[in-house]
Amino acid sequence: MEIEDDEILQGFIEESLEHLADIENDLLAVEEGGANIDEDLVNKVFRAAHSIKGGAGFMGLTTIQDLSHAAENVLGMIRSKKLIPTPEIINVLLIAADQLQSLIEDVQNSNAVDISSHLTPLNAIADGTFSQPADEKQSRPQREPAAVAEAPAKVPAEKKTAPKPLLTLDEEDETFIEEVEDSLLPDDEFEAETEAQAMGDQSFSAIEPAALNNLPSGKSPQAPPAKAEASLRVHVSLLDSLMNLAGELVLSRNQLLQTIGSDDLRNAEAVGQRIDLITSELQEAIMLTRMQPIGNVFSKFPRVVRDLSKKLKKKIDLTIVGKDVELDKTIIEAINDPLTHLVRNSVDHGIEMPAERRKIGKAETGLVVLKAYHEAGQVVIEISDDGKGLDGDALAASAVSKGLLSSEQAQIMSDKEKVNLIFLPGFSTAKEVTDVSGRGVGMDVVKTNLDQLGGNVDIISEKGSGTTISIKLPLTLAIIPCQIIETAGERYAIPQVNLEELLRIPAGQVKDRVERVGDAEVVRLRGVLLPLIRLADVIGIKRTYYDRGTDEVKPDRREKIFDRRGKDSPLFNSDEESRNDTPPSRNDRPRSVLDRRFAASSALNIVVVSTGSMKYGLIVDRLQDSEEIVIKPLGRHLQQCKGYAGATIMGDGRIALILDVSNLARMAHLTSVDGSDRASEVARAAEAAIKAIKDKQSLLIFKNSEVEHFAVPLNQVERIEKIKRSDIEEFGGRRVMKYRGGSLSLIRVDDLAMVQPIADHDSLLVIVFTIAKRSVGLLAVGPIDALEVSADIDDTTLSQPGIMGSIIIDNQTTMLVNVFEMVQTLFPHWFLEQEKFELANVETDVLPTILIAEDSKFFRNQVKGYMTEVGYNVIEAEDGLEGWHKLMEHGDEISMLVTDIEMPNMNGFELTQKIRSDRKYSDLPIIALTTLASAEDVARGKAVGVNEYHIKLDKERLMVSVHDYIKRRH
Amino acid sequence: MHKSLEEAGAKTLLEPCGNMKHSNGMDMTDTSSRTDSKKIVELATFYIGDALCGMDILKIQEINKLMQMTKVPQAPEYVLGILNLRGQIVTIIDLGRKLGLGETDITQDPRNIIVNSTGGHVGLLVRKISDVVSADMDKKESAPANMRGIQGEYFNGVYKTETNLIGILNVDKVLSIED
Repeated sequence: MEIEDDEILQGFIEESLEHLADIENDLLAVEEGGANIDEDLVNKVFRAAHSIKGGAGFMGLTTIQDLSHAAENVLGMIRSKKLIPTPEIINVLLIAADQLQSLIEDVQNSNAVDISSHLTPLNAIADGTFSQPADEKQSRPQREPAAVAEAPAKVPAEKKTAPKPLLTLDEEDETFIEEVEDSLLPDDEFEAETEAQAMGDQSFSAIEPAALNNLPSGKSPQAPPAKAEASLRVHVSLLDSLMNLAGELVLSRNQLLQTIGSDDLRNAEAVGQRIDLITSELQEAIMLTRMQPIGNVFSKFPRVVRDLSKKLKKKIDLTIVGKDVELDKTIIEAINDPLTHLVRNSVDHGIEMPAERRKIGKAETGLVVLKAYHEAGQVVIEISDDGKGLDGDALAASAVSKGLLSSEQAQIMSDKEKVNLIFLPGFSTAKEVTDVSGRGVGMDVVKTNLDQLGGNVDIISEKGSGTTISIKLPLTLAIIPCQIIETAGERYAIPQVNLEELLRIPAGQVKDRVERVGDAEVVRLRGVLLPLIRLADVIGIKRTYYDRGTDEVKPDRREKIFDRRGKDSPLFNSDEESRNDTPPSRNDRPRSVLDRRFAASSALNIVVVSTGSMKYGLIVDRLQDSEEIVIKPLGRHLQQCKGYAGATIMGDGRIALILDVSNLARMAHLTSVDGSDRASEVARAAEAAIKAIKDKQSLLIFKNSEVEHFAVPLNQVERIEKIKRSDIEEFGGRRVMKYRGGSLSLIRVDDLAMVQPIADHDSLLVIVFTIAKRSVGLLAVGPIDALEVSADIDDTTLSQPGIMGSIIIDNQTTMLVNVFEMVQTLFPHWFLEQEKFELANVETDVLPTILIAEDSKFFRNQVKGYMTEVGYNVIEAEDGLEGWHKLMEHGDEISMLVTDIEMPNMNGFELTQKIRSDRKYSDLPIIALTTLASAEDVARGKAVGVNEYHIKLDKERLMVSVHDYIKRRH
Repeated sequence: MHKSLEEAGAKTLLEPCGNMKHSNGMDMTDTSSRTDSKKIVELATFYIGDALCGMDILKIQEINKLMQMTKVPQAPEYVLGILNLRGQIVTIIDLGRKLGLGETDITQDPRNIIVNSTGGHVGLLVRKISDVVSADMDKKESAPANMRGIQGEYFNGVYKTETNLIGILNVDKVLSIED
């Protein structure tokens, strides 16, 4: 059969496929309605069938015409209420619609297809003689291999083209051809395929006209499915704007050529900007043409869920939210299979049988929700069910029994990590392999598929109440923002979606922050240990480092990261260089001038990347800019290099490879399980290390005059404001400024202490404290910095009113400001009320005695000062052990213990534990003082019996709570 | 009845498949049986190591000097790198290495023959470009097992000129990815 007019035929195909896409969902809705017929809906389906019939008749497509006619008859009867749409009838109609679709997809050969298997039941329904049970019906079409076989080879070939087979990740020609061959063989495999189809697992999507309508013209069966040839519907207004932009671009080009000729630099700049603008607009507009609603994928799920739940004899409702969310065409196509798998999983494994649900008090009908929405420039797709949820422990046990995990590893895993185990390759939760979901396709494949799209999968599951799987996807794949990095002189791009943060460890801190556990190197980042991978090692190139001084890439011969040694000794280092990198003495570690590890080039540049549940640090030579890049595929000879997701062309015309961070992790044999295992190991070591060192104090460093450095404890600072000198107002010798609708009193260090007056800067900083329940601002000049130092505070040499003591930070003597004392001296009236309160509360004959256990003399004296000031007796102890002895000695006298946590011999926790274990002291109030009040510490303290936690040097809160406990005790 | 129809269907599909995979081979070896005699092909000739090789000039998109290239760590050793050819990423294959003759000396101004193969453009790095030769494919002879160190399987045949022996390169074979 020859069809004359290609264009009309093409139009017919597109239109018919659109009709068919609607028919499916409408039929399902009609089925749901049952006897309660929604006429509009039935009418719609009827009209759709009618249009197809009409068009087919006009084109001489008799088979399509006959089939749609038969379907139309049945629909006509439903419409006129002569027939009640039972599930069986709808089933026949659905199967007929499927057949119609495959006929239309291969119009050229449609007339040769035998459709009697569809016509018989349809006519039977129309005649009222239809009575076969549904199940038999369902499996009927596939008993007719002739139907497909008769059609020349193209039919199966093209069936395979539109979708990507779930398993075949690489679409190489060979594989493809093999598949075609397979599907051609009139053997069981082929039947199985058809069966799967009848079950609702159409691997080709019924609602993707764009991808399919080129098919009838595909004359060469050997050609691999060329997606590029598919057509796409674009709104005319969008085309107009594209045309417009193209016009603009041409104009700008003309301008550019002119300016280049005229040598007019300023104009060239303007034209450059213009072109920049137009290009980005053009880019955006073209991206829009590729956007398609996710509904295109979602709309097939009602059928999938319906057919599947029927087969499994479950009752399931599917709710779809956010059909209109748009995604790039390629993503829409690629997400089809993973989503299908997840939905089927929910139906098969998630939702329980009705009887079971009833038993545990759930509604018989389970709920599966598919939801899509935008979040932070990405699209989130959620598949949730109210089924039985995942049992983390069972998963872990199973992983252990399969040898994927050691039981030690399993023990230290969090619930979330356990649930995420189902993404491990070789893991399948199904106890028995069902034909529904256990087809060798695990969740790991789903995850790999999504990883390839630059997406993330996350599972939240509560045993007994359901599972939610959320997938985060980028809006588009073609152009992505990337971080450019350099290693061994070559540039590489890391997609921004994978990027967590950039980390530069100054040369001097490398040794402290990078640790080695077994073969693995880890870095301590905000208390979490992050596994490190060196890019050069993973992709097998020579280690290098970039020398900023000479702008050269030099080979790096060090074995371990913390062995880094700069070429230059600090002796010869210019000051400039050591300032570039934060000098090493931050931690107050004695630094030998002969230690040569501090050249700037020894600093580590780490890109912290995340892939799903795992986070790791990639060590690179150099960090460059972030850029928007266009992804270009690598040739087939490079497909075996799993570390790259593609390549891109940089501004200078050279190529940069795009790194696939999840595959890099795999290549480095890093799994999240591994990571957490290592991390916990190192955490234990790190904890011990922390115990070994002294207290650390977080300080805020600032200046008053240009030369003198000051510090205040960071934890006392409420906030820091930048102000102009002109913001300060003076009234009656007091400085104030407007602050949050009120007046903020401003003080200066030189108001009380004998130090140089504040520098005459226009912009000042105000460090805001809350003292005596009021805010007070301390004027300062920058630069400010926050850092942790070991508390080796000298409280005699420089001590004076307003200054507690001094500490050496970065070779600078820094004075520690006693803000409390300053406020007390400058605004004594603020405390009048409070002092009354204090006295009223300490109305005992014998002044209470407080035991202070603290190893640092400075802090001990400070705290002792606070106590004696208001009249308490104080007994001091230099560590926990001495504290214990003092307590034994003085026993009843002591009404409270104020203890430090980190102390030699016996730490605060141990002391508390010891005290609490003695019944006599079970109700002795214990206040712990700490500089590192992490949530864990607080919890641990509470667990051993600490009543309250306070931050060292926060006099006010400490005293309030001391008074409070003393009052309660007396 | 059905069965035979299916088989017929399978054949119609399979044949063109095979044809595509080995199109070069079929065209070259079976020309006599398929087309009318006289088939003149312009062969672009070039040196891989010391071997003079040729390929149908119509399969060549262009011939370039070796441009700035980006190395791809972990690539197969015969892949020299990738380069940007007017916005296309082109994989450069060192034919010397691929065919077992050792690395082509890139300081001796080698040339890149860009061919458009399935799955993108590929550049074939050769030591030197030589003449274009009109060859009558009917006079082609089957390749020896080894030609100047290159295995015969990489050739579709040899063509004798008055002075030289040109090995006709089987590009698809050269570009195929063996495991």
